Amino acid sequence: MALENSWIFPVVESIHVIGLAAFVGTIVLEDLHTLGFAIPETRNLKMWTHAGLATMLLTGAVMFFSDAARYLHNPAFHVKITLLVVALAAHFTLHRRGTRFAAVLSLALWTCVVLAARAIIDFDV
Amino acid sequence: MFNPLLALARYLQDTSLRLDLSQSTWGVPIIGAIHVLAIAWFGGSVLLLNDVRLRRFRWIGLSILVFTGFLLFWSEPMRLYYSQFFRAKMALLVVIGLASLLPARHARLAMALSLVLWAGVILTSRGIAYR
Repeated sequence: MALENSWIFPVVESIHVIGLAAFVGTIVLEDLHTLGFAIPETRNLKMWTHAGLATMLLTGAVMFFSDAARYLHNPAFHVKITLLVVALAAHFTLHRRGTRFAAVLSLALWTCVVLAARAIIDFDV
Repeated sequence: MFNPLLALARYLQDTSLRLDLSQSTWGVPIIGAIHVLAIAWFGGSVLLLNDVRLRRFRWIGLSILVFTGFLLFWSEPMRLYYSQFFRAKMALLVVIGLASLLPARHARLAMALSLVLWAGVILTSRGIAYR
């Protein structure tokens, strides 16, 4: 693929990881706070959570459409997208209640999304 | 002239662990996954750099990143030693270390500097996978 062989792909990938640090990074802080860990209130980081999510969705789409067929043949990609849909649905519903259960579920789901995403590289053909 | 970094890379290259790591099917993928997961779990704490309550949390994250990062370096030391992106990443990490020494009255500058520098670290890190 043209995009894969240029410097653009690694840069888009990097921005995706920067978005990850902002998005999952702030959610983890919020969840650990909910669970009673010595983590400060993170309400004013909401902006970073949403900016991170927007960045990830945009760069993720760019990477996907650079070689859609290749991603669709990758089993790790299927697992990642399935987990992502569940994690996003939980994030915008259950997670809002701020319960301990929602926090544990959120930590588990986002951890699995990251692991499945990283595995896309390993299952690439 | 004696080059300690090159000497370290050469030494690691000849160890049996380097061979084990580079030949194992799941070794590097699993260590790499933990490395990325640590960015996801602890990256947010850089946004609250001035909060002393997060100091220990940040150190846990940094320790995991340095430990897994060192193992990843161990899996291919000679290639990484000659990688321009790896060198740039290490240089940025040194600058981050120096920026953390800024006096407290420059807290806002240190904060902004660290965000830009960490973004640079992620950019150069991805570059390492390519050359």
